[in-house]
Amino acid sequence: MRYWIKGRFTRGAILGLVIGEAFSIIFILFGSSTYLSFSNRVGLSTGLSEVALSLFLALFLVGLIQSGFNGSGLPVRASDVDYVFTSPVPPHEVFAAKVLLNSLTTVLFGFPPILVLYLRFSAYYHTSWIAAVLAGLVTLVFLVIGLLLSADITLSLGHGLGGRKKLWRNIFIVLIMVISLLPITLLIPGIPTGIALVTQVLPNGLAAAVSVGLVSGTRGGLTVLADLLLLFAWLVGVLVLGVRMSRGHFYDLLEVSAPGTGEKFDHPNQTSKLDPRGKSLWAIVRLKEKIMISRTREGRAQLISDVFLAGFMIIYALSGSFQSSPTSFLFILFIIGSFGSGTASRWIEKERLWILKSSPVSMRRYVKEVYRARAAPLLLYLTPIVIAVGVPLILAGLSQPALLLGVILALPGALEIASITMAGGMFFASKYGQSSTDDILSSQAQELADIRRFLFQTIINLVMVSPVILLVFVSETLVVTLGPGYLPILALGLISVSIVFTGLSINFLLNKAGDAVSRREDL
Amino acid sequence: MVEISVENLTKHYDKLVALDNVSLKVGSGEVFGLLGPNGAGKSTLLKILVGILRPTSGTIRLGEYDILADQEKAKKLIGYLPENPSLYTGLTTLEFLQFVGKIRGVADDLLDREISESLKSFQLEDKRNSLVGSLSKGMKQKVALIATSLHNPQVLVLDEPLTALDPKTRVSVKDWIDGQTKRGVTTILSTHDLDVAQTHAGRIGIIDHGKIVAIGDVDSLRKMANTASDARLEDVFLRLTEEKGEEPIRH
Repeated sequence: MRYWIKGRFTRGAILGLVIGEAFSIIFILFGSSTYLSFSNRVGLSTGLSEVALSLFLALFLVGLIQSGFNGSGLPVRASDVDYVFTSPVPPHEVFAAKVLLNSLTTVLFGFPPILVLYLRFSAYYHTSWIAAVLAGLVTLVFLVIGLLLSADITLSLGHGLGGRKKLWRNIFIVLIMVISLLPITLLIPGIPTGIALVTQVLPNGLAAAVSVGLVSGTRGGLTVLADLLLLFAWLVGVLVLGVRMSRGHFYDLLEVSAPGTGEKFDHPNQTSKLDPRGKSLWAIVRLKEKIMISRTREGRAQLISDVFLAGFMIIYALSGSFQSSPTSFLFILFIIGSFGSGTASRWIEKERLWILKSSPVSMRRYVKEVYRARAAPLLLYLTPIVIAVGVPLILAGLSQPALLLGVILALPGALEIASITMAGGMFFASKYGQSSTDDILSSQAQELADIRRFLFQTIINLVMVSPVILLVFVSETLVVTLGPGYLPILALGLISVSIVFTGLSINFLLNKAGDAVSRREDL
Repeated sequence: MVEISVENLTKHYDKLVALDNVSLKVGSGEVFGLLGPNGAGKSTLLKILVGILRPTSGTIRLGEYDILADQEKAKKLIGYLPENPSLYTGLTTLEFLQFVGKIRGVADDLLDREISESLKSFQLEDKRNSLVGSLSKGMKQKVALIATSLHNPQVLVLDEPLTALDPKTRVSVKDWIDGQTKRGVTTILSTHDLDVAQTHAGRIGIIDHGKIVAIGDVDSLRKMANTASDARLEDVFLRLTEEKGEEPIRH
């Protein structure tokens, strides 16, 4: 474990973690404030907070269960396979070390943003900071339980477990998933609210009940003690189960992560969809991108990002914060976009660039067509959401022309920022993205290089989108200075300027991306 | 039929000199073998030839086209197979070949026919709808070879085409190389396999530390290396690439 920790916690990794934690904390502060504003506005009680947290933790649990079934419950590297698994180390010791390392990593990274979240809640409910710390610790216990459960599921994939036991395992897991997600049915009118209490036999329900109860001051004494005992019973149970199952050989069940191992595909045989007949070269390029995205995990990751973005926009609009500060909406969108532009930056496929660079194609044009293929689905998805969110906001803001212009500009501004950050992501992948040489850098140098690139990307993306945000920012002043009568002309003019600026920025970034790829020799 | 002309080619990476004033000519329809120790500069030379890297100085011409000034025209003539080619693993074999054929300018009606015939000749017909990522190394190499020649290039640049292949696949690849050379395609073949170089190449260039140390047919190379007239190419190679003042390593 000492060497694994040494390999993982390099200076570069720590710096990256600090930056990542800072971003997470900023995001959690905004998110929790928005949520509390929303619940205050619609007059919801702490019961909803408990249900919401329980659902949030349930999603985390479901993700871990899925990882477990994929064989990723115990993350393993290729070097572990070559050196640890071939050494005379008992398997259950390897299991214990892996689980301890994962738990340590999760606790270390998870605690700061979780603590910030509960401190925010305790400030809202006027409870002590000690309650927030205790609530954070309880949530961390839940996270460790989730990791252990995932590891146990992976171990159970082996042949040692008979057919009957596997059936019971599947029934058990399905029950956990169904019960933990049951509160979603509360969205259906008429469903009794008591249904949410069922989740309090599961780790996510227990953790949510205890944590929210502590920070809101609505739960204490014997109730909390009983819940904690049940939570620790879960912890001990999954731990003991894992140790027992790990006594046998389990290495062949594990999914190995190694650079350059390529994507995983569910089905090796597919129907070929790239029929070039009658299509232009560029149509084929776009089609190729779409096929690649649909067949890899990128499609799923893209969908999750899109759903997340849409959810954020809807909640932010409903919370009432949008109308009072559309600028902060765009700024948060930019932060989300900076993380999400990782999807765009995956276009680079450096190992396959030899095919393009040895072919008579224009790299500038190629990059633009790839952008079209990747950006179009996101924009097509977001546009109706923006319209659906925007129309009520505009109608509600008709009586306040000074604020209305900001709202009107922020709506297409959201799409513009998404488009620019995607193009920015592609440019940065081209100019600074991991080269073939990076694969042989020491891990520390590579991490430092990645952090530097991420910071560059974020700063330059911010510079590129700042005119869009600035327009929204000054809109109120413009309306006040010129008068509400100028609102329609201002709206039309500024939207046009904003769109033209966005188009020019995207063209500039993608041209630079194409040139960078053409010139780079280390890819 | 296209001739390759390399003149005073130099490539620096900061202080590292990867290629040092390299000059060579490959005649139209000739098969030229390129040999050298690991890190000698073979792949760098080939990558500059196909336009992936830019030289620090020097010129490269493929027929009438300069690889730098007339990049797109020059690239239309080239079929390139890198060492360990990386393919689009998310595409099926058919899709991958269709994509490569399209970006290399093969007409639609010709493309279908070329792909079908190539898959048949490499016994990959049942793999048309298999994802490239699911193919074995040997099959991937065959797919990469098909992709190299779909557009009937006039120049072939092959970088270690036989590395890590099983014997059966090696035979397929060698037969393919034979077929191409019989068509009169100008070929530069970089290989560690000295038998292949001796069998297929009319002339051989030996590169070491970024410099061409010898060029010629096998007999000329034996004379340059001061070895016997029946010396193995391996011995000739070792003699020509030995460090100054050191005896070549023999096992």
